[in-house]
Amino acid sequence: MNSAKLKTLLLCALTVAISNGSRAGEPGSFLQTLHHHKTLASTIADNGDLNPYALIVAPVSAGKIHQGDVLIDNFNGIANLQGTGVTIVDYSPQTRNVTLFAQLPQKLPGCPGGVGLSTAMGMLKSGWVIVGSTPSTDGTTRTKGVGGLIVLDSNGQFVNVWADTNINDPWGNIEAVDRGSNATLFVSMAGFDVPGPQVRDPNTGYPVTIKKATVLRLELAVPEGKPPILNGETVIADGFGQRADRDAFLVGPTGLALASNGTLYVSDALGNQIVAIADAATRTNSAGTGRTVTQGGLLRRPLAMVIAPNGNLIVANAKNGQAVEINPTTGKQLCAQWIDANQAQSPPGNGDLFGIALKPDGRGFYYVEDDVNALVEAVP
Amino acid sequence: MNDMRFGGRRSGGVRFAGWPAVWVVAVFAADTAFGTPPMIVSPSETSTNEAASSSSFLEGISRRSYLLGDMWGLRPGLSKDGVALNILETSEVLGNVSGGTRQGFEYDGLTQMALQLDTQRAFHWYGGTFNVSALQIHGRNLSADNLSTLQTASGIEADRATRLWELWYDQKFDQSGRFDLRIGQQSMDQEFMVSQNALYFVNTMFGWPMVPSADLPGGGPAYPLSALGLRGRIRLGDSWTLLAGVFNGSPVSHNEGDSQQENPSGTSFPINGTALAIAELQFAYPGLGSMVYADQHAPLPRVYKLGVWYDTERFADQQVDNAGLSLANPAGSGNPRTHHDDIAIYAVADQMVWQDPAEDDRTLNVFLRPMGTPLDDRNLVDFSVNAGLAFHEPFYHRDDDTFGAGVGYAQVSSAAAALDRATGYYSGTYYPVRSGETYIELTYQYQLTPWCQLQPDFQYVFNPGGGVPNPNSTSGARVHDEAVLGMRVNITF
Repeated sequence: MNSAKLKTLLLCALTVAISNGSRAGEPGSFLQTLHHHKTLASTIADNGDLNPYALIVAPVSAGKIHQGDVLIDNFNGIANLQGTGVTIVDYSPQTRNVTLFAQLPQKLPGCPGGVGLSTAMGMLKSGWVIVGSTPSTDGTTRTKGVGGLIVLDSNGQFVNVWADTNINDPWGNIEAVDRGSNATLFVSMAGFDVPGPQVRDPNTGYPVTIKKATVLRLELAVPEGKPPILNGETVIADGFGQRADRDAFLVGPTGLALASNGTLYVSDALGNQIVAIADAATRTNSAGTGRTVTQGGLLRRPLAMVIAPNGNLIVANAKNGQAVEINPTTGKQLCAQWIDANQAQSPPGNGDLFGIALKPDGRGFYYVEDDVNALVEAVP
Repeated sequence: MNDMRFGGRRSGGVRFAGWPAVWVVAVFAADTAFGTPPMIVSPSETSTNEAASSSSFLEGISRRSYLLGDMWGLRPGLSKDGVALNILETSEVLGNVSGGTRQGFEYDGLTQMALQLDTQRAFHWYGGTFNVSALQIHGRNLSADNLSTLQTASGIEADRATRLWELWYDQKFDQSGRFDLRIGQQSMDQEFMVSQNALYFVNTMFGWPMVPSADLPGGGPAYPLSALGLRGRIRLGDSWTLLAGVFNGSPVSHNEGDSQQENPSGTSFPINGTALAIAELQFAYPGLGSMVYADQHAPLPRVYKLGVWYDTERFADQQVDNAGLSLANPAGSGNPRTHHDDIAIYAVADQMVWQDPAEDDRTLNVFLRPMGTPLDDRNLVDFSVNAGLAFHEPFYHRDDDTFGAGVGYAQVSSAAAALDRATGYYSGTYYPVRSGETYIELTYQYQLTPWCQLQPDFQYVFNPGGGVPNPNSTSGARVHDEAVLGMRVNITF
């Protein structure tokens, strides 16, 4: 190659336009304060369970759990079949190690269809851990069971399972109001009459959408030293779209975040929107699909959601590696940040994100990347 | 004639587009070591997992990631110690229906076995990964048998062998992943000069490209070879990364003959006292932490790389002997002049150019990878380029399928061409002078199940070998243009 060709080659390489889309700060943005993304640990369980979905930060120390620990459940077994994961791991920020917190059997008495741990997980101040099961045996909704809500003690031992007609594949992240002796939980259910992914809508070509997903409020009594008792249930929202998905198992309402004014925000993944359910803790009827806060824009099938210290919603996108920040009052989408930029997927981070949890100090959040089965934190 | 000591062609990088997730998972999930056959582990307490148990082998077979599932308890047993096992089989039938030195179809295949140990999961040591991989290469080599091409038709074609491939340890030094070092026997094609979108293709040159394949000793430390070395990666910013390494100057001890036969088991670990240094500056958008605003048009994802390699091995001149006479001159010694170094530069661009507004998974991506060396005298190929497009989900609801169309070009150096002219001159007969070779490829990666891909493929080669004479021709005619058809199958066990 002669020198002219060499120069041309260098020039081509060096003159490629480069821009990164940066601009001046968005006032009050939480995401803009986060500049470091640290991979903390592998979330793979001892038995090889994969695909981290739910993550929560322990509010108290109890049993094997220390306050501030991060509990993460796995939705897939080692063969990567969805709806077969049976483990919860515990990441300790102090030791930086991951230990096995709970390992359930695939079949559990009283849990229809078995165990496949979903994005629904919460921990009460009394130490009880409640986790949703959305089980399958072939990795698709074709063989799914209706699952249930499983109660574990603080040593990861099975205690009880709640299953009834209102509980059908607990799917979204659990939001809780914990008053010690009693508690209120909010969970979305996304499995009502969902067939296998092979059943297609002839008009769209996608698996059929069944608009029966709900948000369920559960009232718990927590006797001193005894497991929580399920005292009441109220469907506070319903009619959300839900459908089978070969890659994500299910698509349905996933993110729940309760504001201090009693409004519950829900990420409606199929509707690609965030909706608000007013008076979520007190209402006695269903708000239907609620009031649309924001739709489209930066949202790409929104999943788990938290409220940042500034009051804004932070929601993880399924279809790219972005977290999106939304002012819930105005409905304005302030910005999004690439928290997973893995270009092995197209678009980057596609399918990688799911659970998200605010750090105890409010300066950042934890999230999972299921392409690499890792717990990551975004911090200033 | 050409001294092929330093330019022995062979197939290049073996990366399968459908597998990145597997390998990425392996980096964190697996991270294990091997070299020894996997031990049989008693089923763990998870044997209650009926979906993956041997008693229900067929349950979920259409959706799991591995054909063999949990391998009857082996995988969970290994996982308990932070070890992951991946076995990947690639089998293909390729054949030229026109042109070439002869026509016909041939089978070839490759079994890759990799064990990785995640040191954090194994013994609470953050950021460490042990990796060992082995290759079992079987079948024939269509490019050598029928095609006489520079840019060989398949990235897995190689000498039949069972050999150690990579054996390295990688250590991250901070949780932000800003710096990591890798030491041990490495195959450079796994990290350097990689175009993400080119990995979907079958032709070798979309993996390990033509310039290093033709010009580096033994074709360079790339599949199925590797070399001892040290590699560092530094993230200079959210979007900028510097990848650099120093490796033994050659993957084999003696740069003569077939490099794969020089080190048939991959266990000779040669240290020749020479070095192959390489550095690659990478820019990626989005970078981790990149911001996007609702009222602002966001650029589409892209990756650009600019690199240079420099090798201090001895390189044979392509044209003249140690006395300055043409290698074709009967009065000459036939021993080529040697040079003490070689250098080339390269660039890689991957760019998404379109995303379906109604279906995020449907994206059209293009790539371009030119490279060249200014040192014509010691290199068979002084310039090569690959370009093409990759269309994800070309048909609605075929989310994991990819269609690819690509082109490759390799230019025979002026020194090698001069030797052809001299050969004709001194022999007194017609002798074709080589120039450039071009191929096009159309391919479709069909995801049958998560563990199985089918990939029909079509290639057409213009001016095979740059215009080499057909050994079967009595008149010195060149090898005619070739149409190559094939079907590849990837199976993850």
